[in-house]
Amino acid sequence: MFTQLAAARSTGRSRAPLPARMWRAKWLYLALLVPVTLLLLFEWLPAFSALYNSLYIWNGGKVHIYVGLEHYERLLSDRTFRVALTNLVGFVTFRVVMQTILPFFAAEMIINLRSVRWSYWWKIIFVFPMVVPTILNYLIWRFIYNPQVGLLNEGLELLGLGAYTHAWLGDPLTAMWALAFVRFPWLPTLQFLIILGGLQTIPQEVHESASIDGAGFWRRLFYIDIPMTRRQITLAMILTMLFMTQRFDLFLVMTDGGPGYSTMVPALQLFQSAFNFLEFGYASAIGVVLFVGMLALTVINLRVSSGAAD
Amino acid sequence: MRKQWRLGLGNRDLPFQAVLVCFGIVTFFPLVLVVITSLKSNTQFYHNFWLPELPFQLGNYSSAFRIIWRYIVNSVLYSGSTICLIAVIASVAGYVFARFRFPFKTVIFLAFITLIMVPGVLTLAPRFVLVRDLGMVNTPLALISVWVSGGLVLSTWLMRSYFESLPQELFDAAYVDGAAEWQVFTYVSVPLARPMIATVAMTTLIGTWNDLIWPLVTITDKSKMPLAQGLMQFSSAYETDWGTLFAGYVISSIPLLCVFAVAMRQFISGLTSGAVKA
Repeated sequence: MFTQLAAARSTGRSRAPLPARMWRAKWLYLALLVPVTLLLLFEWLPAFSALYNSLYIWNGGKVHIYVGLEHYERLLSDRTFRVALTNLVGFVTFRVVMQTILPFFAAEMIINLRSVRWSYWWKIIFVFPMVVPTILNYLIWRFIYNPQVGLLNEGLELLGLGAYTHAWLGDPLTAMWALAFVRFPWLPTLQFLIILGGLQTIPQEVHESASIDGAGFWRRLFYIDIPMTRRQITLAMILTMLFMTQRFDLFLVMTDGGPGYSTMVPALQLFQSAFNFLEFGYASAIGVVLFVGMLALTVINLRVSSGAAD
Repeated sequence: MRKQWRLGLGNRDLPFQAVLVCFGIVTFFPLVLVVITSLKSNTQFYHNFWLPELPFQLGNYSSAFRIIWRYIVNSVLYSGSTICLIAVIASVAGYVFARFRFPFKTVIFLAFITLIMVPGVLTLAPRFVLVRDLGMVNTPLALISVWVSGGLVLSTWLMRSYFESLPQELFDAAYVDGAAEWQVFTYVSVPLARPMIATVAMTTLIGTWNDLIWPLVTITDKSKMPLAQGLMQFSSAYETDWGTLFAGYVISSIPLLCVFAVAMRQFISGLTSGAVKA
């Protein structure tokens, strides 16, 4: 067995016929059998099932009627979907900006410290909220926005701004903003560490020669730090965009799309279509549209950022 | 390494430290308030919103623990088995992809890697139907199988890159000493790949620990719920009992806190090494 494996390793450009080479690699195929089966079953099959069933009326069971592109036509005229899409675009734009500027700002402060110890401890402090389960972020912010005993309203009372207290999640005008600020001062862990890593790799000499040339903090920020971490910033933005487009647990837990449709997003609409209304076909069509949109945005984003490099 | 414990008074660190301290206070403020509230009765809470008040209601913690412990045990079991399975399967698969040439290797690898672009929300509904038809609804298998296959995509890719980066001489030395392939794998490659396995374990842990949607559609039995889903139940059951509610929140943050305390250093240095680029 092992001599055969060794042969499989060394046959760079083997002239042996294909079946013979495949037979020689049989143990390798065996080793890959489990993961490939799992991926085919639980990833590829559902993905193709979504594409296929977006052309059918399907309740997830016996009812299965071909309707062609009807679901996609319905999406074009679906007012809920249009509202959801508008909400999502606003929400994602805001989150991408916030989730990039905030961690960049904190990372920039940290790399400016001379004290190695303090910069280490600040990293730990800002990564710390990661230990709080995600669902608790939502539940804690639900408490912050609570109209009767919420932290935000109590804080406004304390500052003598009692007139501004509000049912933050209950008012269609403020609900989306309230959701956009969930987890607000807490840094997104992954994005923070990626940007920090980028800033840390800027050689010390670059900063030193800049300060010898008389560049102050702001100059250095705009002419050295931001351009030199462009790749990490792009990655952080793409990650935020992808997370925020498909994660809807925030909306499900905090408002369930309400009041009205003021906090509805496409992924939540997909979830409700499938699991509340048993419209699996329509849900699949929403999924396909989201998939295509995310793919396009990622490609554009990568193009733009690599284009700027030349 | 300069050892400077002073906040940097009088040196150029001061403005940055000042900003960071404000930022730090705002970050921890909600957490501190949750801990303070978890030690109060409802009367104390309504009477005094901001400050801690004696006597501390430690009873909140025992009544919250009686409910939360089961969810924590469930989550540890589910996430633990997922992590073990992914670590083993992804190491083997990553090793095979990194070290061997065989027919259809590229095609098989593409079957892994293109899945990175397929969002979970697209596959959610059909995957539920599949799992239901396989009779796995309301069993831990529904969670573990789907978490393992979902996690394999990125993990295999990470393991493959890591094994590819190991120098060929290392393997040659082992072969010359007469090691068989499985020995090279278990005694040379896996021990060397420990940092990458730790990264894979950590990402899997955070992903599965925080997953709410998939348990929500597949698990209906309260005694089988993982932590995220259980906390949702718990929060609606104790909606107005603020002390117990927040005691439960504190308790459910402890498991990741422990992991964090042990693995913090590797986690931060792994992600800030600058190797992560778009």
